[in-house]
Amino acid sequence: MSNNKFEMASGETHPKPSSPRKLSLSFSWVGVVPFILFAFMFLILPSMSLFVGSFQDSKGNFTLANIQGLFTPFILNAYWVTIRISLTTALMGGVIGFFLAYALVTGGMPSWVRSSLMTFCGVASNFAGVPLAQAFIFTLGRVGLLTVFLREVFGLDLYERGFNLYSYWGLSVTYLYFQLPLMVLVITPAIEGLRREWREAAENLGATPVQYWWHVGLPVLMPSLLGSMILLFGNSFGAYATALSLTGGLINLVTILIGSQIKGDVLHNPNLGYALALGMVVVMAVMMSIYYALRRRSEYWLKK
Amino acid sequence: MKRNRFWNWFWVFISLLYFFIPLYATFDFSLKARKGELSLLAYQQMIEDPRILRSLIFSTQIGVLTILLGLLLMVPTVYWVRLKAPRLRPVVEFISLLPFVVPAIVLVFGLIRVYSGGIFALTNTYVGTNFLLIAGYVIIGLPYLYRSIDAGMSAIDVVTLTEAAQSLGANWGTIMFRVIVPNLRSAMLGAAFLTLAIVLGEFTLATFLVGLKAFGPVIWQVGQNRAYEASALVIISFLITWILMGLINFVGRRGAEGSIAAGPR
Amino acid sequence: MRTQKFVYSLLAMFVIAAVALSACGGGGAGAPSFDWSTAKSAADGGGLEALAEAAKAEGMLTTIALPHDWCNYGEVIETFKAKYGLNVNELNPDAGSGDEIEAVKANKENKGPQAPDVLDVGFGFGPQLVEEGITAPYKVETWDTIPADTKHPDGYWFGDYYGVLGFEVATDFVENVPRTWADLLKPEYKGKVALAGDPRTSNQAIQAVNAAALANGGSFEDPTPGLEFFKKLNEAGNFVPVIAKAATIASGETPIVIRWDYLALTDRDTFAGNPNIEFVIPEDGTPVAGVYLQGVSAYAPQPAAARLWQEFLYSDEGQLLWLKGYCHPIRYNDLVARNVIPADMAAKLPPAEDYARAVFPTVDQLAAAKTVVTENWDTVVGADVK
Repeated sequence: MSNNKFEMASGETHPKPSSPRKLSLSFSWVGVVPFILFAFMFLILPSMSLFVGSFQDSKGNFTLANIQGLFTPFILNAYWVTIRISLTTALMGGVIGFFLAYALVTGGMPSWVRSSLMTFCGVASNFAGVPLAQAFIFTLGRVGLLTVFLREVFGLDLYERGFNLYSYWGLSVTYLYFQLPLMVLVITPAIEGLRREWREAAENLGATPVQYWWHVGLPVLMPSLLGSMILLFGNSFGAYATALSLTGGLINLVTILIGSQIKGDVLHNPNLGYALALGMVVVMAVMMSIYYALRRRSEYWLKK
Repeated sequence: MKRNRFWNWFWVFISLLYFFIPLYATFDFSLKARKGELSLLAYQQMIEDPRILRSLIFSTQIGVLTILLGLLLMVPTVYWVRLKAPRLRPVVEFISLLPFVVPAIVLVFGLIRVYSGGIFALTNTYVGTNFLLIAGYVIIGLPYLYRSIDAGMSAIDVVTLTEAAQSLGANWGTIMFRVIVPNLRSAMLGAAFLTLAIVLGEFTLATFLVGLKAFGPVIWQVGQNRAYEASALVIISFLITWILMGLINFVGRRGAEGSIAAGPR
Repeated sequence: MRTQKFVYSLLAMFVIAAVALSACGGGGAGAPSFDWSTAKSAADGGGLEALAEAAKAEGMLTTIALPHDWCNYGEVIETFKAKYGLNVNELNPDAGSGDEIEAVKANKENKGPQAPDVLDVGFGFGPQLVEEGITAPYKVETWDTIPADTKHPDGYWFGDYYGVLGFEVATDFVENVPRTWADLLKPEYKGKVALAGDPRTSNQAIQAVNAAALANGGSFEDPTPGLEFFKKLNEAGNFVPVIAKAATIASGETPIVIRWDYLALTDRDTFAGNPNIEFVIPEDGTPVAGVYLQGVSAYAPQPAAARLWQEFLYSDEGQLLWLKGYCHPIRYNDLVARNVIPADMAAKLPPAEDYARAVFPTVDQLAAAKTVVTENWDTVVGADVK
């Protein structure tokens, strides 16, 4: 049974696992069977149309035209912009989220502050799409609350100075609204694992805070930090409704392209849409490899 | 250290500003339903709509079931991968990130196609459809479920704990439920929050599988052309979700004493 | 551990069952003696009454992509429910035409409530409905009064309503209401003009570009002047790249929107003065009309209900309900000729002369325009961010 699932899914572009056969000696893969089975039944099988459809035309004949169609400058640019904004918001969200989470966990906050902020992060992490875009339009749009406030009270006209919510950076700031809470929620358990004793021990040995972080804190947290940031990357990479509602297709993102092909009020080439999604899987796989390489280096430090 | 205190409060303060100003702007807009004056008219109209409460209850039930199924699936899996099969970790992680790149609309049509005929005819019954919905939500929440639990497990030394428990004669059930899980409270709560938020707000799967029975589609329908009511609804659903999470937090933390890891920092 | 998990999964299924049963409603396909899925008209099955009875036996209708505020569909659905005693199961009101077609295809084997019975799609999708076998042929009783160039001769699709594009202006935020396309370029409208969609995803937006083209010497075959217009609009800083919605209009972020008349007029009613809305059909150029199509799904789980729905929509009652939502029903001219439109309803509509001079693009023209606009929007209008 061991490799059947991967054989069935041979039309996909998943990287095959390194060598599960070697593990069969100890049956160690058995425990992941429920997960693989579930993912197969409810994710991979239903998404087969995605992979199969990328190689078909509208009549169902095999074709590579969709894949070739991916290599136009316009679409490649879309991938590049999407990757860029995902990296940007993953980093911004990751760094700020880390500081916020650290402040919450170790900062000696009253517990109600911590609980309410954590639960708030839960809600905010999924606050996206039309409501989020509208909230930011109400705040920083041309007639937004903050824009008007700054203009009337401080004489500072944002738009005159070149700020524009409907831009790459405006969208990034908006994305941060769900990236930041996600980071906080996911990194908190890892920060909780930083034993207070380690810090005290470091201080006793005369380490400065910087040294503590450099030699103890960050290395211990690095695997989780990286893991959280790849999550943020994926989260942003797949985001669609927020970008569409805020910038209406102005910013060239792959998810918007996919939506326009599949939703099809105007364009309707779902096969191209599937090919675009397949491209996203490939990008994700590449990012995963980079992440995994970085993570192995960081975990090396932790191995005893 | 006093220096730290300042920075801690600084980050919290800046974040609070960032989070609350857009919410306040939405709230401010929702008060403008009556021209020229501030009023709660938009909220009144929302509360009087029976569909909202009905769909909220339905979606909350689905959410709770999704959380249970998701945790049931992922906690043992992550545990197993860490303990016994670290080489399979990239596979599991990659699969857990796949839902990000599968558009929801492809997923829902795929689910319908696969499970609408033959032996697996789930879509013909309400039970089956609800199950399909829950399964779909577990998939959508997979990245967050996996990452939360993994981060939590990284903070505890799974190997040592397991060995210690085994040497004391514990079987797998005891190890799982009385040793590992209690140490994962914070991670499991985080996963629960993320999942619930997703289920309550989700639109695509809900609308193609159950239509207006779920909260997401109802919110869309009600807020579609009504500017002020839509904003009122955003604020209301935000508050409701927040309260629900507070409940989960309360229930979850009640048993927080007695965990092996050191207490709050 | 695994047995425990299995038990837990079973438990979960029971819990789900409990939840589901408590939320369970009616619905389910009946088994009529005559198979209505083969009926090409009501007469085939014994007439309207037999159709209504068969539909009642089926118990429900599944619709898709019908927002309640679009052409007064809310009232249409409620009236249908009350009149024939059926439940209506509404799928994704936000669906685009492509979504509807995909939904039918995905649900081919499915007789459950996820499969749409009827479709309401954009005009350009007619040929695809026939090619891919999405719809079944059906001719309503009032078939002959539907204009010939808006229906498929065998009944695979038929026009249901139309509207024309114009400017929806929130007069609270705009002092001088623009009356022509050329007006929109004036400096006083800086940061005020928006589209109601992305030209690559929204039919409404792409027709806006076509309409701008017609006003600037272009045509459906050559919509480049429309693209040039938006380029100028963007360069002047008048174009706001936000997709206009009720909230952005009401807040003043997008006070001037290029919109279908029925949506603008419905907004006027919904806002009820908060803000005040004026709808203007621009005087230069030719008003562009957009027709939508109805179809009966070839895989409808409730074929009688689907056909009954069509009969209802194309009856005078149904057509007038659409007109109440400011959509011109396809049988409008027939209704006018027979004098069945209530005077107060007629008074609320924009002047008939503007409709008389409106242009109805053919499928080929739509296809031609679509290609040019979608491929060149980013490069010409240059609003793309790198």
